[in-house]
Amino acid sequence: MSAVLTAEAVSKRFRLQRNRPVTLKESAVRWLTGRLDPAQAHWALRDVSFEVERGTALGIIGHNGAGKSTLLRLLCGLGRPTRGQVRRAGQVSGLLDLGSGFHPDMTGRENITTGGLLMGLTKREVLAQQDEIIAFAELEKFIDEPVRAYSSGMYLRLAFATAMQFDPDVLLIDEVLAVGDTRFQKKCLDRLATFRAAGKTLILTSHVMEQVRALCDEVLVLEEGRAVLQGEPETAIRCYEDLMRKRTERRAAKIGDGLAPKLAIAQGTRQGTQEAMITTVMLRNDQGQQIEMMPSGAALTVELEYQLSRPIADMIVSLGVFSEAHIKCFEEIIPSVDAVFGRPTERGALRCSLPELPLMPGRYYVNVGLYPTDWAYVFDYHWQLHMIDITAAASALPNASGVVALHPVWSAGTNMIGARPL
Amino acid sequence: MNMRLQRLSGLRASKLGQRTSHLRSMCYQIDLLHHLVWRDFSLRYKQSVLGILWSLLLPFAQLLVMVFLFQAVVPLNIEAYPAFVFSALLPWNWFSSSLSSACGLFVGNRDLVRHPNFAPARLMLVNTLSNLITYLAALPILIAVLLAYGRPLSIALLTLPLLMLIQSVLTVGLSMVIATLNVFYRDVQHIVVVALMLLFYLTPVFYRPQAVAAQYHLVYKVNPIAVLVQDYRSIFFEATLPSWGPLLYVASVSIVAYGIGTLIYGRQQHDIIDTI
Repeated sequence: MSAVLTAEAVSKRFRLQRNRPVTLKESAVRWLTGRLDPAQAHWALRDVSFEVERGTALGIIGHNGAGKSTLLRLLCGLGRPTRGQVRRAGQVSGLLDLGSGFHPDMTGRENITTGGLLMGLTKREVLAQQDEIIAFAELEKFIDEPVRAYSSGMYLRLAFATAMQFDPDVLLIDEVLAVGDTRFQKKCLDRLATFRAAGKTLILTSHVMEQVRALCDEVLVLEEGRAVLQGEPETAIRCYEDLMRKRTERRAAKIGDGLAPKLAIAQGTRQGTQEAMITTVMLRNDQGQQIEMMPSGAALTVELEYQLSRPIADMIVSLGVFSEAHIKCFEEIIPSVDAVFGRPTERGALRCSLPELPLMPGRYYVNVGLYPTDWAYVFDYHWQLHMIDITAAASALPNASGVVALHPVWSAGTNMIGARPL
Repeated sequence: MNMRLQRLSGLRASKLGQRTSHLRSMCYQIDLLHHLVWRDFSLRYKQSVLGILWSLLLPFAQLLVMVFLFQAVVPLNIEAYPAFVFSALLPWNWFSSSLSSACGLFVGNRDLVRHPNFAPARLMLVNTLSNLITYLAALPILIAVLLAYGRPLSIALLTLPLLMLIQSVLTVGLSMVIATLNVFYRDVQHIVVVALMLLFYLTPVFYRPQAVAAQYHLVYKVNPIAVLVQDYRSIFFEATLPSWGPLLYVASVSIVAYGIGTLIYGRQQHDIIDTI
């Protein structure tokens, strides 16, 4: 095994943009009146060291502004660390921020050619592979349109297909897999698995811990520009969640708790800065009655009321059903309340109807949360506060176990083709 | 999945095999440069109806204005004036349009600059060459004008590639300075506009330097683009070889400019990526 990428005590300092002289005059004035004020410098990365072995997948996680993107750019060879060193071996390709990989005025096809040539292929080799890229990106109809007309999903599809096709040794992906529909995300993940199986190296940043778990062998946690931990995904993700909770607590302490309502907390925990607060959560059946217990497979409606202590333009809502053993049975995120329901008002209510909840009998919790749109911390998260007991339905499954109440139909026959339902 | 794997490993092996071949590497460099120059050139005329015709219409309009001005309004009494002006106007336009478009090179090509395998210094060469296309496209018109005014084509035209080479080196060098500084100081693009305007009058494009008082002649000897423009005029219009002494001087100035450009760019290249 050999290291494909090495970071040795990498630090990166930026001068804050608003203080940067943009004209000669300002620059001259600054030069005459003294040097740069150290307070205007921002250290995006401090003393980050790690190695990535060939064939491994490294995830980089951390809150917004922790330095993930800066680190990825340095690994790509864009910019130079202020201190320390980055060493690369092999052909590196990056899917960095959307919007910078292609020229907006060129068509998709022309951009593929540019990308392929920059990856070291001759024009003829690029043309030979072009159709495969277009097919993977599912852009047959739009490939001769300028890229500026693409939606962000189409853009991602083209960027991903192009980056994968030209066979880099190392692929760096910054957050972009979060864009695009679920089906294409699945296709991307499959392609990444093939890429990994070919012994290639993958480095990605993500906010989606599921992706990190599924794709990475190792995870690096960044906090305030420092590498806090590099290790097993589970350990690292716990560390990250812990850091996120601490940040939330710090922020809550800063805001102060002059905010009113206290919920009667029977069990479970609640965390958040309470800038947006879930004041009430009601679980109802299909007759609209408030319930604590329901038969398996019946309908459940979750109603929640929230209150904003300051105007908030947009937020994320999460709603999930978890088993007593903390298994996530189902969770959905609404990434932008503003986009779906309009700008959040000072007080408001949201309703989520689940037409059926096919869970095996047992105790479950409905966990709900509100977050700022960048997931930087938590406004309010109710964990194991809202309980629902699922009872056996009329059509009970006495010999079944698990989480989901499926209703299997068995049959038998002499061979597989001849099998008929009983 | 297996097929995909085989394909990948096959590609890898063939890539490695080919990478050793010089021929392939040369093909690759030509393909890359060709594509980038074509891209730069076509971006300039995207979404315009006349497209590349604009690159011919502009110098033609300039020619008409100058012919009207200096034959009818303020007669300079130069024989075959349209041919005289056009032979110098084209290389001047190449120089000036290259430098003015150099300002936006890094910002306008973010996709290339932020690609791990792209050396941004290449943009200056691409820009210079794509402006050269305009010059080359207008050459047949120049020759037609020369013939129409009874100016013979001579063997001196064989030195044209040499002049172009020297001008390219000069332009690339100056472009590197301009493009780099403009990332940090947006004043540069305005300075370039003013400087090119002044330089246009200090370059004998539409007049004869001999008509200017002798104490100013030093300007035409020091200004490298003035020397070049006069050399273009001598090979096209006067059908004589360029004088070698001044040309040698311009060549050295060009190499120095290229060196300075490389130096300035080299010192700033990492900050450029952080800034754009």
